[in-house]
Amino acid sequence: MNDLERDIARLIIETLALEHLGVDDIAPDQPLFGQGLGLDSVDALELALALQNRYGLKIASDSRDARRHFETVRSLALYVQASGSACAS
Amino acid sequence: MPETTANVHWAAQKERGSFLGIKLTAIAVRLLGRRAVTPVIQLIVLYFFVTGRAARHNVRDYQRRLAAWSGRGNLFPRSRAVFAQYLAFGECMLDRFDVWRGKLRLASIDMDDPDGVRDALLAGGRGQLLICTHLGNLDVCRAMAELGEGVALNVLMHLPNAAHFNRLLGESGDRRLRLMHVGDLDTSAMLELSQRLERGEWIAIAGDRVPEHGGRVVDVDFLGASAAFPQGPWLMAAMLRCPVNLVCCLKHRGRYRIHLRRFADAAGWERGRREAAIARSVANYAAWLGERCLEAPLQWFNFHPYWHGTNGALHAR
Repeated sequence: MNDLERDIARLIIETLALEHLGVDDIAPDQPLFGQGLGLDSVDALELALALQNRYGLKIASDSRDARRHFETVRSLALYVQASGSACAS
Repeated sequence: MPETTANVHWAAQKERGSFLGIKLTAIAVRLLGRRAVTPVIQLIVLYFFVTGRAARHNVRDYQRRLAAWSGRGNLFPRSRAVFAQYLAFGECMLDRFDVWRGKLRLASIDMDDPDGVRDALLAGGRGQLLICTHLGNLDVCRAMAELGEGVALNVLMHLPNAAHFNRLLGESGDRRLRLMHVGDLDTSAMLELSQRLERGEWIAIAGDRVPEHGGRVVDVDFLGASAAFPQGPWLMAAMLRCPVNLVCCLKHRGRYRIHLRRFADAAGWERGRREAAIARSVANYAAWLGERCLEAPLQWFNFHPYWHGTNGALHAR
């Protein structure tokens, strides 16, 4: 797990108050929703708000794209990275 | 069969006042004046009264419950009490046109604001949530925008044709008020609202109508029986971690009075105990609403079935 992934995992735990979990309990490729971590749509919205505040991330819409970014910690990290470099360039 | 229409969700009932009709009436009020249009509105109200048996039934149900809950038999007129509530609705419609035309000025509105909600609005800073109701005149939101002297207000309501109304408001020169259809509230809309709140804009949303497709509701006591209320406004407050205020605008002896209350601060809600905090807030809100109903019994403008077991239907609204 790289630093950004750890950071995002920590954000998820803090935002959603998953106190029984540690950063290492969330594998980067573990599905966050449904069977995986079992988050629901309200959790997703809250997570999106937290990501927006932390990384200045813009989530365009409820499109399939957005859903893909939210699949795992790793996909979120890649998305944060991609939008970060987009801002930088 | 009237009983089936009684169980139809409020949003699914045929839009009985079309946008065109409202616009035409607005023009008529502007051209002919309120006095000339009043009998027309009363005729329209009479038409809905005569043809809408289910709604009549629901109004009577509300009146019986309020009278029984409060133990006050003299709350409603002895005769034609149901029609009186329809007439009050017609009067409210006429007042709305006045609000839209800017004829109802701040000076003619009384304020009941012991907690200083208006001061918070004027003070700037991060935005807050206003929970409004279908008791009294909802267009108070327009007046609130005026109260805020330039504070932008985002009004979330069931309004599939929100764009039309935004245009109408734009035509009348009001750009501080932005109407949003709750059905359009997706992730990106929520993120945008969050940013607006940070910029100091306020959000208004009704707390007394459940979402169209089931959705999250919480059952609490309202006027002595269990009724479903939406969780949405409170969840939104929890997510935005912002203070929640209540507002309603009631007509007392021909004058409007805006009732404002600081209600709860969702920033202090622990996430793990959020469900309980929401349930508690909704129960308190319903109690507050009941008290306001006593102040203006005829100004309850929810004409759909409100309680569980109305006509034997659960979650009928």
